[in-house]
Amino acid sequence: MKIYFLKGPNLIFGLLLPISLFLSFSIGRSVDLAFAIPGLVAIAAFFGAGAIQAIALPLERRTGTFNLLLTAPISMFAIVLGKALAGFFFGAMLSVAYTAIMIPFSPLPNLPVFFVGIMFSSFTFSAFGMLLSAPFRDIPQAMPPATVVRIAMIFISGVFIPLVAMPTFLQVVAYALPLTYSVDSLRQAMSGSINTQMFLIDLGAQVFFSLVFLAITVWVLKKTIE
Amino acid sequence: MTTLTLRFKKANSSGFLGPNGAGKTTTINILTGVTKTTSGAASILGYNLAKEPVKAKEHIGVVPDTSNLYDEMTAWANIIFCAKLHGVPKEKREKRANELLELVGLYDRRNDRLGTFSRGMKKRMMIAAALVHEPEILFLDEPTTGLDVQGAREVRGLIRELNRRGTTVFLTTHYLEEADLCCQRIAIIAKGKIITQDTPEKLKLSTQVEQVIEVSFDHTKDVSDKLKRLSHVRDVVTAGDKFRLSVDDSSETLPLIFDFAKENNLKIVSINTLKPTLEDAFVKLTGLRLEVMSIEKEQMKPNRG
Repeated sequence: MKIYFLKGPNLIFGLLLPISLFLSFSIGRSVDLAFAIPGLVAIAAFFGAGAIQAIALPLERRTGTFNLLLTAPISMFAIVLGKALAGFFFGAMLSVAYTAIMIPFSPLPNLPVFFVGIMFSSFTFSAFGMLLSAPFRDIPQAMPPATVVRIAMIFISGVFIPLVAMPTFLQVVAYALPLTYSVDSLRQAMSGSINTQMFLIDLGAQVFFSLVFLAITVWVLKKTIE
Repeated sequence: MTTLTLRFKKANSSGFLGPNGAGKTTTINILTGVTKTTSGAASILGYNLAKEPVKAKEHIGVVPDTSNLYDEMTAWANIIFCAKLHGVPKEKREKRANELLELVGLYDRRNDRLGTFSRGMKKRMMIAAALVHEPEILFLDEPTTGLDVQGAREVRGLIRELNRRGTTVFLTTHYLEEADLCCQRIAIIAKGKIITQDTPEKLKLSTQVEQVIEVSFDHTKDVSDKLKRLSHVRDVVTAGDKFRLSVDDSSETLPLIFDFAKENNLKIVSINTLKPTLEDAFVKLTGLRLEVMSIEKEQMKPNRG
């Protein structure tokens, strides 16, 4: 908890950035909360889970504690999975907190399904965060590129602008990004009329992304210890 | 690093002696799975580190040159975490943590955060953490670098105690005294190559070309010319109030020196046969100046602007 969760960058990127982005896109506009709240919850998971990973791996590599894990009789995949779970918990915790705050403002007819969406999203974004930070050995190196990639992703994943309102080529790019599936799954849970097939596709896509991100992270880490 | 072939006995304490930059840490990193070999193979107790890394790591404990523990956690929490990492059963963890904290003399500080510990205390904690799963081999990379005299003495004492209890110890050091005190076998490494490996005493003897007797008398008058005339004495050098005699055979010469003292009404204050030191052996075998051993790692790092 002290090692990962209570670090300054986590609180800034995990807590403040999602609400800042949400408010800057909501204030002064007539916002459909059923559209906006899933976006807010998704980016809370996105930045929360990712922020932990931008800290966990590079910080541990700089301080030397990562070597403690490397010399233990555990596989690199187990190490990566353990780190991914830390990000998952932080992302899920933040998303659930934002959901609890938003419930009084807008009904949430499928709360359990919404939570399922949060869990899948948090794990996927944690794995994505691992991938972004894997090549780096210090936080100042890891944070800027990860932040640029994340900010760019939220504008083309349907968080603030519906996918249908975007040019075709951006829609194609959006479907190659995990955030798109996260936002879509949460919006479906929020809407009350769930298209089961689409929801399962959203979850399946996130499982696929998670596995790919974890596998590449393991590969990158193995390469960097050579 | 070039190819290294190392063989050390079980339950022995072995050392890798060489100046900083010689490849000691690289070797230890390869043997502990922190770094991979670009070619060739490394094995621990028959387990190939590239093919069976988990199996190989079950048998080793590692104490790197800088702390690998969590400053934010207490001494107790760090040991318990390491026990979990190594799969120590839950019912054994606390008992083992108590034993190890007692062993390294930090039981009273078990609830303090590691960040509040001195370097020496952290090093002892790292040794405790590395022993939590009762490894067969303990690797220590520069275990006393950066420690004060007292801290270094405590760590060396701990290493000898562990070896006495049957743990195979493999340490790297650039301190000749440490290698001499802690190791039953030493490999001297320079520029990524093993120059030689043997027991400290054999290494010293291997460089001995002649025997030396050092004697001092109660008079300070120069008797070096007279001493030179004794049989078996090849040369005499004055060193302060002492005379150093280079001799062919010290056992033959010693009685002659006693007779010489009697005949010249001299009282012998001290008399010793001098053996070559590990320093002599190192300089002779590597061809390096002794000063290279005192260059610390920090001085070798390139400046970062």
